[in-house]
Amino acid sequence: MPPIRDKFTIHSKAVVCQDVELKGDITIGAGTIVHPKATIFAIAGPIVIGSGCIIEEGAIIVNRRKEVMRIGDDNLFEIGCRVESPTVGNCNTVCTRARVHHTLRISSYCVIGAGVLVVPTEDEMLDEYTVIYGPAAERRIWSGRGKVQEMDLRRKHAEYLREMLPKFNRLRRGDGT
Amino acid sequence: MAPKIEYYCPCLAESPHPPPPHLPSSSYSFHPLHNLFFCEECDAVRCNRCVLLEVSGYYCPNCLFEVPSASVRAEKNRCARNCFMCPNCRNTLTVVPSDPPDNGDMRTSAVVTTALGEPPFFLYCNHCRWDSAEVDITFEKPTGLAAQLQKFEDSAPESLEFERLKEHFEPFLRASSSSALPSATPAHHVHANPITAAASSALARDIPGVGKYNPLARSRIGRDKHAHRHELPDYKARVEIASAAALSGEADVEFLKHLESIEEVASLEQRWTNSWATSLRESDLKPLRIPLQSKKSKRCPSCRHILIKPEQKAQSVRFKIKLVAANYLPAIAVTLPHAQAALEMMKRSSTLGKSTSAAAAAEEQQAAGALIPGHSYPFHLAFTNPLYDPIQIRLAKAVPQGEIVDAEKARRSTFHIQLPSAAFPVAAYAEAWEYDDDEEDMFGLDDDGMEVDARGKKSKDGRGKSRSVGIVERRANVTVVSGEVLIPKDARGEVKFNMLVSYTYRSDDPETVDDAEAGTPSRSQATSRAPEMKNFSFYTVVDLGTIAHREETRLSVEP
Repeated sequence: MPPIRDKFTIHSKAVVCQDVELKGDITIGAGTIVHPKATIFAIAGPIVIGSGCIIEEGAIIVNRRKEVMRIGDDNLFEIGCRVESPTVGNCNTVCTRARVHHTLRISSYCVIGAGVLVVPTEDEMLDEYTVIYGPAAERRIWSGRGKVQEMDLRRKHAEYLREMLPKFNRLRRGDGT
Repeated sequence: MAPKIEYYCPCLAESPHPPPPHLPSSSYSFHPLHNLFFCEECDAVRCNRCVLLEVSGYYCPNCLFEVPSASVRAEKNRCARNCFMCPNCRNTLTVVPSDPPDNGDMRTSAVVTTALGEPPFFLYCNHCRWDSAEVDITFEKPTGLAAQLQKFEDSAPESLEFERLKEHFEPFLRASSSSALPSATPAHHVHANPITAAASSALARDIPGVGKYNPLARSRIGRDKHAHRHELPDYKARVEIASAAALSGEADVEFLKHLESIEEVASLEQRWTNSWATSLRESDLKPLRIPLQSKKSKRCPSCRHILIKPEQKAQSVRFKIKLVAANYLPAIAVTLPHAQAALEMMKRSSTLGKSTSAAAAAEEQQAAGALIPGHSYPFHLAFTNPLYDPIQIRLAKAVPQGEIVDAEKARRSTFHIQLPSAAFPVAAYAEAWEYDDDEEDMFGLDDDGMEVDARGKKSKDGRGKSRSVGIVERRANVTVVSGEVLIPKDARGEVKFNMLVSYTYRSDDPETVDDAEAGTPSRSQATSRAPEMKNFSFYTVVDLGTIAHREETRLSVEP
């Protein structure tokens, strides 16, 4: 197995704390916030994260496949979640301690509820606006009502973090190596 | 499958002996210590099965409003304020405004400082994202939802039918309740509220063979027969039953015939909190009012002394009276030292990756603690003393009862238990700073060759001990003793045995015996006016795990 070569491309407007574990080829877009103690491992293939994402503490994003793992814009990865999904769209929320397997592809506006373990046996793409909740991972389609307010709230959340985090944490600047 | 210990509550049985632990029904008599109460008057353990329950108050779990018991019945056991439950996932609903109309340029605006959202408001579940707009329930104002939904609820066909029934019976109720009374006191028994009128007439109902309960009437029998002579006009329902079937029966069949996926049918859990049968469709589920919960107080069944009395305020979780067994009985924890040693070794050698899921960890733990036939294992019992006085504990194997001795003997031949036979002391409970130092006194026969590993002052494993029965460690108010279980080669099943724990403690209450007060204390024992030694004993069941079937050699931790 070839040694993992670290190559971080971090946008200048992104806020990535010092205490984050990064490995592999990682690209982080504008305005994205990575809290301390997050983990992003691009073990076998690169990871590209879009803009405006919020990755909270204890979140683990792992790419064990050769192809690029693309994460869209305005996603929220809450504390302790674990995502291995090869494609994540825009405006999703992966709630606290949820775990998403690599066979699942997430489209946009989806919500993976707290503590939910989503392990489909074969490759599956979630429809837009799918909500997965409950210990048995039940699904339903959200009507989309309230999404404007939610996106507005997320933008305010990111804005606040962008202002507050650098005051209390050291930031990691993107290095080209 | 970690080893555990549970306490026996006799539940007012005559014989104090517990049932043999291998019977499946005996598990209901054994409880963990935190579920047990202790009655000081009777000096006995009480459990949740034998206590008397009384409701001490009702409250809404969402808004924590204490509902007076009179309104509970009127509000049909639900919260009358703005608390609603999601019909889908039974979570609490919040009131949210709708989105502003989409301008199409939302992505470009960087910061929006004013709060978005405008009426109409609707109910929204944060967990499953259900909202009441799916069933067309919206509100103009975010407050006073109860009133806004009230007229909606009242127009349900079942509710109208119920109201009509009540109106129909009301004159009859009034007549029967007023005619059953003598003319002397007519006033205060006429109920204005038809609900309470119905309740009082239910008490006064004519049951054949039972005398009618009538607190004020002098001569009862003649008057009753007279009262029920009233003619009851026939009741005509609002909706004809034949046509009502079309509403629910056939329509349901049609719906089920055209089902596309099972999720369209509302599940049982979603439907059974309703007061009456509602539609089967998932899409018809309406938000429900949150059912009230009750705070209960518990009493001893024999002396009716209160064991648990919660505080009146709904948001406080404390108790005014709290007589729990944990304050009286020593807490016992069972561990298998060889299992712990194996687990530590596995933890050190495994990688730090988070790939170990919970299931794999549990499996490894179970394999580590497996009891392999043909070996003998020590086990540790840690006793924690909750009293402010030191106690002396004595352990014994529970003597099985008479008739089932043969079965017991057959069982007993599967494994042998050795327990420390001498009484051992456990120090009194005191605050942390009052203990002298934290050194461990090592009693027993293992002074030599004991390595104190880096885990600190945890229990030592059985290596290097020649005999492992006895006190292992004494620390603060905890004493750890060890016993041994020998499993012969052909043993099967679970290693469970009943253990009798008896302890003596010095009680500070002097004996209130009359002759002790007269004159000089002249008792033969040394404790005259001084505190008495009291004795208490209880049974427990110790479960060490299941004997592994196959001969597993990968985790043997034998010396």
